Order: sequence, then structure tokens, then C-alpha cells
Amino acid sequence: MSAGTPPLSGLPKPQAKALNCPKCGAAVVLRSFGQAETVVCGSCRCILDAKDPNLAILQQFEAATREVKPLIPLGTRGKLRGTDYEVIGFQRRSAKVEEITYYWHEYVLFNPYKGIRYLSEYNGHWNDISICKTLPNVDRAFLDSPGSSADYLGESYKHFQTCEAITDFVLGEFPWQVRVGEHAAVTDFVHPPRVLSGEKLDKEVTWSIGEYLYGREVWEIFKLPGVPPEPMGVYENQPSPVTTNITGTWVAFAAFAVFLLALMAGFDMRAKKEPVLHETYQYNRAEAKGEASFITDVFQLTGHPSTVEVKTFAPVSNHWIYLNYALINQDTGQAWDFGREVSYYSGYDSDGSWTEGKQNDAVVIPSVPPGHYYLRIEPEADPALPGIPYTVDVTHDVPVFGIYGIAFVALLLPAVIISFRAYTFERSRWSESDHPPMDFSNMSSSSGDDE
Amino acid sequence: MFRKFYVLYGFLVLGTAAFGQYRGWSLDTINQLKNVPKSVRDNPGSYRSVYGGYHHYTGGK
Repeated sequence: MSAGTPPLSGLPKPQAKALNCPKCGAAVVLRSFGQAETVVCGSCRCILDAKDPNLAILQQFEAATREVKPLIPLGTRGKLRGTDYEVIGFQRRSAKVEEITYYWHEYVLFNPYKGIRYLSEYNGHWNDISICKTLPNVDRAFLDSPGSSADYLGESYKHFQTCEAITDFVLGEFPWQVRVGEHAAVTDFVHPPRVLSGEKLDKEVTWSIGEYLYGREVWEIFKLPGVPPEPMGVYENQPSPVTTNITGTWVAFAAFAVFLLALMAGFDMRAKKEPVLHETYQYNRAEAKGEASFITDVFQLTGHPSTVEVKTFAPVSNHWIYLNYALINQDTGQAWDFGREVSYYSGYDSDGSWTEGKQNDAVVIPSVPPGHYYLRIEPEADPALPGIPYTVDVTHDVPVFGIYGIAFVALLLPAVIISFRAYTFERSRWSESDHPPMDFSNMSSSSGDDE
Repeated sequence: MFRKFYVLYGFLVLGTAAFGQYRGWSLDTINQLKNVPKSVRDNPGSYRSVYGGYHHYTGGK
């Protein structure tokens, strides 16, 4: 051990035991006292019996995987969940799914008082793993049907995947009889950020519980230099970045929508919708050659600043009429200037009959203060139109339903965005499972890759 | 965290909608002019509309 490493907690201070490999003579360090079943010679890759004082050779594996280097070197110490642990073993395991081999790494951690726990790493995703203290309740043990689940300490875990894991590289000490080439059936049930794993070796099943760790947390725990590898993809028990309760958000949205509806009904009932002008005028082209503009009678708007709706109706057919309007406050000289066109066209062609435009038009003038007003109207019309009547209606204090539409969309948007984010994250998670989302199943079925 | 934000945001949206409705907001954009002379009342032709030069649609389909 390097002199700079922190001491393990409690007394007495642990001492590593140094032996020599019977095969190559290299020093073999035993850090876990009597807990190790096997120890691997770092020099010749012999798996040695740690219980044997002479370190009997159990297996020697080929150096093909010698390049595998633990991200956390053996002997590194760190404080995990308040307890000092030392990394004493490392193994690389793999699983082949649909002709693709996936590799992950497992680290054996040791504390003389707390015993053994593990860290696993896959594509930058880490898990803190310990052996289950009680047996989980699995409704259909090791059946990987989509509905199967497991209960552990009051939490329900969904089946994620079952695969055959092969140990293909080992280093350091292990509290079991480790062998390279060892096959185990591994079944994972998830309840993010936790994963419940059952590992079946021969007839023995070992259950462990893991909790997701971010690489930066592992780097902080073991004070490792540099930065951890960036996680790739979404891992089976990775906590969703969308931590909010989606159902709760939609419940809140529904409540707001009801509130908005009530608001709309309330303001609609409260609105005066007071007709202040209703006049029909006649546009005559012959008369319009002089000054076409005129003003209406004065009308009074009372109360607080509110909307004024100006409606125009003209029975045009394949013609247009255009009205330059100005709503003028005769007391203050303030004016609202706007132009409105009423046009309606219809006909028949190879596509059938068609229509375009309307014979009526409405515009809502915002926030008009109380006072005495009149309208200045300057009509223009299609030159082909000799004359046409048109009706102008002015209504004070009308509700604007578009505001509620905008408010509804504004309320809906965050709920949709957060739900979409959560959905895409979960879809990515489960696409790697034995139960991919429906569209993934369809995709694989259509490509003929199934079975 | 998001839910708290969303609840606050929701009340803000509802409050804005209610305030806008009370103050008579509209989705139509209307030009406002100030100090229109009182003489317009007697001589409407002296007022020049912003939309006086409007190019009219003359088509249909």
C-alpha cells in the first residue's frame, strides 16, 4: 500500500499479508485476512487458493485479457456510505445478447469490520452493491416474463433482464472460488435507483441489491485522479433526470384547466357585452367620389379600461369592401386606427365548388379607457361594386377567449415537455431490457431478427 | 422541484390571464394615435388613416 492512503476505520489497524506465488514467485498480497477464498497473482494470472497456506494453484488463465486495467487500482481506499473500504479484487464479466458481447467490471471492496461489498461499472454507470440481508420475494423466480417482479424490503422491482454472465478476467482477492470462464445466470429487477440481482451458479442463488452511483461520486469517494468516463446511454437502474411525479403534474394541470374554465365562465358572466352602436350604412360609389369618410354618433364607455369589439357585416358576393376605422375619444383625442376588409368569393372549378372569405368581420380593440367616443369610418369598395349596405356593431366589454386559449397552451406545454422527457428516458432504459417498448419489438420483428 | 415550479407557474399563468381579461387585453394589434384634433369631428376628411394606402385583395380563387 502507498503511504498516502488513509487508514481504515476502527482498531486494530489492518495489516496486509504478503506471500509469494508458487508459480512465478511474484509477491501476492492478501488484504482481506481470512475472508478471501481465492487470490489472483497479478504477475502470472494464476488463481490461487487463499485458504491454503501454500497458495495452491486453482487455475491459470490466458493473458489475452491482460490489458484489462481497473479504473480503481487494487489497494485504493475510500469512504463509502461512512465506512472506509479498500479495493481488493477486480473482475471483468461479459454477456452475449443477440451476437453482441457486453462487458462490465466489478470491484470487490473490503472493510475488516463491515465485510465485503461491491462496485460495478458498465459504460460509465456505477452501482454500489451489497449482498441482500433477507431473501426477496420473487413471484415467478427467474421467469423473465414482462409481468414478473420481485419484492424486497417493501419495494417492488420490475424484471429487467436475464442473461448468462461469463467471468473473463480476474485480479486480486475474492470471497468466493472465482474462476475465469465461470458461467452464471444473472437476473436483474429494477426499481431505480436500485437494482435487485439474482445470480444463479449451479444450484445456489445469491441475491444482491445495488444502488446507482454517478462516476463523479466514485471519483470523490476514492479520490481518483482525472475525470470518470462519461456514461453512455441510459442504464437499467439509472435515476431519471425527470424526478418529478408525472401523474402529479397532470393532476395539477387538470386542476389548473378547471380553474381556467371557471375563470372563463366567471369573466364571461361578468362581462357587460354592452352594445353601444348599431348602425347600417350604405356605400354608393357615385357619392363616394367626393369625401367618403364620416363619423358616427358619440357613444359612452363606462367602467374600467376594457375591450371594444367592432363587428362589420356586408352582404358581399365575389366583391370586397374595405373600411378604414378610427375609434376616437372626443375628450382626449386618443384614437385607435385600424382597417378591416370584408370580402367573400365563391365559384366552381374542376375541384368542385369553393368559397373564400366571409361576409362579416370582427376586431377587438384592447384596453379602451372609459369616455365619450365616436367612430370615423372611411369606406372603400370593389370598383365593380356600384353600392352596398354594411352594418357596424360596437360592443363594449366583451370577453376575449383567445387569452384562455393561450393560457391553456401555456399550462399544457410544461406538462407535455416533462412527460415527453420522462417517456424518452424510460423508453431508452427499457429498450435495453428483455421487454423493450412496443415500437422496438415491432422494429426487431419487421427486420426478422426475432428468435 | 418541478411540481413546485409548475404550481407557481400555473398560478402565474392564471393570474396573468385573469388580469389580462380584466384589463381588456386583446389578441388584435391596433395602432394607437394621440392628440387627434377635435376638428375631425366636423371635418372627417381631415383625418388620414394609417391604412389609407391599403392594397386591396381583388381575386378569389
